[in-house]
Amino acid sequence: MSLVRSPLSLRSERAFNGLVVAAVALGFLTLVGVAAFGIGVMRDNLIFTRWVAHTYEVEGAISDFLILDERTETARRGYLLSHDPVFDTTVASTATQLDRALRAIQQLTTDSPVQQANVARLRSLVTTQQRAIAVSMAFARGGHSDTSDFYRDEGVAATRAIRQVAADMAALEQRKLTIRTAGQQSTINQLIVVAIAAGLLLIGLAVGSVWVILRYTHQLKTSRAELHDLNAGLEAQVATRTADLQRANDEIQRFAYIVSHDLRSPLVNVMGFTAELEAAAKPLTVLLERAEAEAPGIVTEDARTAVRVDLPESIGFIRTSTQKMDRLINAILQLSRQGRRILSPEPVDMARLVQGIADNLKHRSTELGAEIEVAPAMPSVISDRLALEQIFSNLVENALKYLKPGRPGRIAITGRTDAGRIVYEVSDNGRGIDPRDQERIFDLFRRAGAQDQPGEGIGLAHVRALAYRIGGTVSCESALDQGATFRVSLPARMSIEKSA
Amino acid sequence: MSEQRHVTIVMIEDDEGHARLIERNIRRAGISNEIRHFLDGSSALHFLENDDNGPALNGPALVLLDLNLPDMSGTDILSRVKSNERLKRTPVVVLTTTDDKVEIQRCYDLGANVYITKPVNYESFADAIRQLGLFLSVIQVPEIEA
Repeated sequence: MSLVRSPLSLRSERAFNGLVVAAVALGFLTLVGVAAFGIGVMRDNLIFTRWVAHTYEVEGAISDFLILDERTETARRGYLLSHDPVFDTTVASTATQLDRALRAIQQLTTDSPVQQANVARLRSLVTTQQRAIAVSMAFARGGHSDTSDFYRDEGVAATRAIRQVAADMAALEQRKLTIRTAGQQSTINQLIVVAIAAGLLLIGLAVGSVWVILRYTHQLKTSRAELHDLNAGLEAQVATRTADLQRANDEIQRFAYIVSHDLRSPLVNVMGFTAELEAAAKPLTVLLERAEAEAPGIVTEDARTAVRVDLPESIGFIRTSTQKMDRLINAILQLSRQGRRILSPEPVDMARLVQGIADNLKHRSTELGAEIEVAPAMPSVISDRLALEQIFSNLVENALKYLKPGRPGRIAITGRTDAGRIVYEVSDNGRGIDPRDQERIFDLFRRAGAQDQPGEGIGLAHVRALAYRIGGTVSCESALDQGATFRVSLPARMSIEKSA
Repeated sequence: MSEQRHVTIVMIEDDEGHARLIERNIRRAGISNEIRHFLDGSSALHFLENDDNGPALNGPALVLLDLNLPDMSGTDILSRVKSNERLKRTPVVVLTTTDDKVEIQRCYDLGANVYITKPVNYESFADAIRQLGLFLSVIQVPEIEA
């Protein structure tokens, strides 16, 4: 079956990441743009403010100049009327002040040629006015108080012209200010427009991002739910398969039991009637002997061979074969019975259990001159005690059985914890097992090496079947003549299978 | 011993070879009682419960019962015999190849008097049957009250 299938393919995930990054980048760019624009506008504004101040300065200077000019005119008129020398000094002092005021205007309006021209005009007008004032004052000092030709005086006209020019200049400055204000206003309007546009863009980005994220989250949620369903399905599938396996296993156990059991019945007959046949052959032998003694003529060679050779030989073969068959059937029966036994896990002190096995085999090991060493400390397990006893007594017995002749036997049993499992090792220095045979020896009725020891090839098959039943494995490591190490790996805690 | 002569041995055994071997070895043990042999459960039950010469109606009997029969389970026959008012005291010797612990317990629970596993080895088998014969020669079988 396929592995976990997700609706969020890698490609769409990458597209999502790209989108989000692009949105964030675009948002930042917009902010930077707006900020830069704002800074520009602010700088414009500063310049504009300076210009406004400048305009007011110019206007102030013009108005100062006008006031001074009016004062000169007024002082002249006062002098002409009263001949008071105070007015005379006033006229004299304002003349220099006027000049200073004009210079100030000129300095302030260096940027504008029109204003410079106006200043030049003012200067010539002031000169004309001053001249007229001087003439009229000198005339008055001479004792004249007639003011009849005053209106023909060019000073009056100059004064009017001065007023006009000054008003023009002020108007010009005012116009410039209006233009600059309009420019400023449009910049501010632009800023507002840009800010609004940026705001809209940011809102759009935010909405888009949120939408994308929501969709992504939704997809994630969907895929997680699917994964969950898939997982649950997987568990159900595993449970079904396990049940199937269990059933198949039970079936095999039952089959083995019935077959082995039903095979025994005919075997009883074969063996029974063979024995009867043997018994029946005895009187025949006696008869043959009597015939040979009393009437040798009737004894044929065939009859002699049949009674003396063929019958005993045939019966002998039938016997050994049936006995072998009996042992095999018994072995299968025993295995199937083991498979049907209900296991009960309990804490098992392995050092004690193995020591017990060693003690039970003490007699045989002393006889063989072998030594069994049990490690004093071994990790304990929670497992089926009987199965463990059978596994380890089989392994230790095997080690004793297949020692190397002429080499004092040494058998060591150790245990350790390895990655959550408990590993026990039964090692010997015996005759070893050819690597080619190391899997075969775990098969039923299969043996390896010289067949000089009694046995049906059941022990290790039994060990492996038991190890599997309690959730463990058993493996072998060996080389010919180099001894062998049998490794039993067990879960620290046996899980209780559903019993058949 | 004269009383024993009347006890009929009812042998329920589907394997004719086994039956023959059992009979021979019983005879060798010096038991000369009549042996009625049945190959299946129904005819055996019919004889036990209804036959005029059967133990329910006439005379004491001893049952030799094999558990693996073609038409019914031996334990069913055992429970039928042991639940029959007239037959329940009839000794039943279960003689079978099954040596399953659970099965043995079940047979005793149902009221079997003796349970013997047929040894596959013929010497042991013959020996067991001969000893059974000796056992049968001393066993007291209750009379059927008329």
